[in-house]
Amino acid sequence: MRKVYKVLAYVVAAEVVVQAMLMVWAIAGLTKWVNNGGVFDKAVMEDRQIIFPEILGIPLHGLNGGLIIPGIALITLVLSFFAKIPGGVKWAGIVVMLAVVQGQLGYLGHDLPAAGALHGLNAIVLFLAALHAGRRVRAVAGVDRRAEGEAVRSAA
Amino acid sequence: MLRNRRLRLAVAIAATLLIAGPLVWQWQRSLLPDPYSIMDMGYVDDGGTGHGGHGSHGDSARTITSLVADPDRPADVSVTLTVRKERFRLASGREIDGYTVNGRSPGPLIEATVGQLVEVRLVNESVPDGATLHWHGVDVPNAADGVAGITQDAVRPGEQFVYRFVPDQAGTFWYHSHQISHEQVIGGLLGPLVVRPTGSADEVTDVVTLTHLYRGIRTLNGQENDIAVTIPPGSRARVRVINTDNGPTSVWVTGASARLVAVDGTDLNGPTSIDGEAVLVTAGARADLEVTMPAGGAPVRIQVGGALSVVLGSSSFDAPFASRPTATVDLLRYGTPAPLGFNADERDRTFRYDIGRRFGFLDGKPAYYWTVNDRLYPDVPTYLVSDGDVVRMTISNNSGEVHPMHLHGHHVVVLSRNGVAATGSPWWVDSLNVDDGETYEIAFVADNPGTWADHCHNLNHAVEGLIVHLMYEGVTTPYVLGGEHGNRPE
Repeated sequence: MRKVYKVLAYVVAAEVVVQAMLMVWAIAGLTKWVNNGGVFDKAVMEDRQIIFPEILGIPLHGLNGGLIIPGIALITLVLSFFAKIPGGVKWAGIVVMLAVVQGQLGYLGHDLPAAGALHGLNAIVLFLAALHAGRRVRAVAGVDRRAEGEAVRSAA
Repeated sequence: MLRNRRLRLAVAIAATLLIAGPLVWQWQRSLLPDPYSIMDMGYVDDGGTGHGGHGSHGDSARTITSLVADPDRPADVSVTLTVRKERFRLASGREIDGYTVNGRSPGPLIEATVGQLVEVRLVNESVPDGATLHWHGVDVPNAADGVAGITQDAVRPGEQFVYRFVPDQAGTFWYHSHQISHEQVIGGLLGPLVVRPTGSADEVTDVVTLTHLYRGIRTLNGQENDIAVTIPPGSRARVRVINTDNGPTSVWVTGASARLVAVDGTDLNGPTSIDGEAVLVTAGARADLEVTMPAGGAPVRIQVGGALSVVLGSSSFDAPFASRPTATVDLLRYGTPAPLGFNADERDRTFRYDIGRRFGFLDGKPAYYWTVNDRLYPDVPTYLVSDGDVVRMTISNNSGEVHPMHLHGHHVVVLSRNGVAATGSPWWVDSLNVDDGETYEIAFVADNPGTWADHCHNLNHAVEGLIVHLMYEGVTTPYVLGGEHGNRPE
């Protein structure tokens, strides 16, 4: 249980990195496409066609950040209820909260670009919180093994 | 110790259920039955009259199949449109996978005069999911509206369907499929329709300019290059811009004085020069610009969206480019006022159409969806009206993105935007650009019985739940969404 918790917390952190990479990939691709004569406007934006490969970064960023990351964070939170990690529930909860806030800031940024800047800042906070949540397990791993041994003995 | 552990486990399970329960409940509630009728969908909003509701149709119920143009009247304009799903060549020569009408896309221009009976036979040769034709902006009888699952069944391959209607106003319109429209319209199942006034001997050259993006390829009338049209010096051209894409575009004129003479197929009253201003044409909308050619014969450039232009000229077509003017024609103040033809203050029904966005499930799929009055499709309002009602509607958008709102079967007049009353020409639209943070008050006379979609013409947004219906009391539809015809209007 704790191992899965730890892995999922680190996956959230890694996913934040993937998110940053997807956006820069998309924007770099867009710049290249415009440099080569492409015109980017609302019609292109709303057409949802793959006019250059890197534009895939945008829907993938939306899917990853809107569903997959909050989903993994929620599963981590549920695991924390059972995993008996000191501070595990608290930190998994913080990760969920930050992931939800992150999605909201992302959508808010569509019409309020300043929210997009906060979206960038919150990404770093979410990344660190997920790392910290994962490290809670390492801190208690030794204690955990001893406790499990005792539990087995007392159950027998 | 054991009790403690059991308690802990119980708390953990309870907490898990607290998180998973609402999600599972929302997921389960969002599953759509197959088939289902629009008549059973969501909830009825009677607009404050206190009557009406599902099943209130009584004995006098009419089915929309009876809402047709005079069946005994012979057609004045007869057209057969054969639709196919195929790889085809654009006018520019490029090959595209998509949909064609009579072997090409955009489909042929249909021309009629006000009051003529137009009869179009749709033949589906090879569109596997079925197709329909919707007459965007023409207030047709409901049975000819072409919405799969609402006004007809999708026309399957090998089948036919006949549309009959009498256009009652001159203007620029277009037609497109309303079956799986987010894919078929984007793929090219569309074409222009122009209705001319009776007895006009106007010395104006018509230039139909249909803009469409084919798999990322931007075109005007299927061309990837500028369109050059010969117009003699000193004479006039009417450039009819049709935006068939999913987002608003802009049009601006360089090299001559122009006027915005019509929007969405309705002439504006007292149009003035639009020098130094761009015209916003939202998704699905049309704008007619009248250009008077310079006497000296210099060419005129009409830029559509920035990438492509119509160039009017005689000896030279080498017109300079200009960047988009920062100012945009504000139709709230453009032109001069004129009577609306009805009293918008004597309202019979008042509706609210608030657009938002939130996380939820639609037919079991989680995503961020558009909401109507804070509810997710299909749990959205059906606006109930009676024939002859004066209807007021407040559309507000707090969803973070622009929505081109399109009501079928009616033209609506804009009364105010963000509380500022309209002071220009009557501003009649069928496709209204509602930007984030904007609130429009509109009015119309419910004078075309039937069941009419009222949706976002960013067709992907309609798939994501931004679609409701306007329903007339006493009118029923025998058609269902889903079912054996696979009706999927969005």
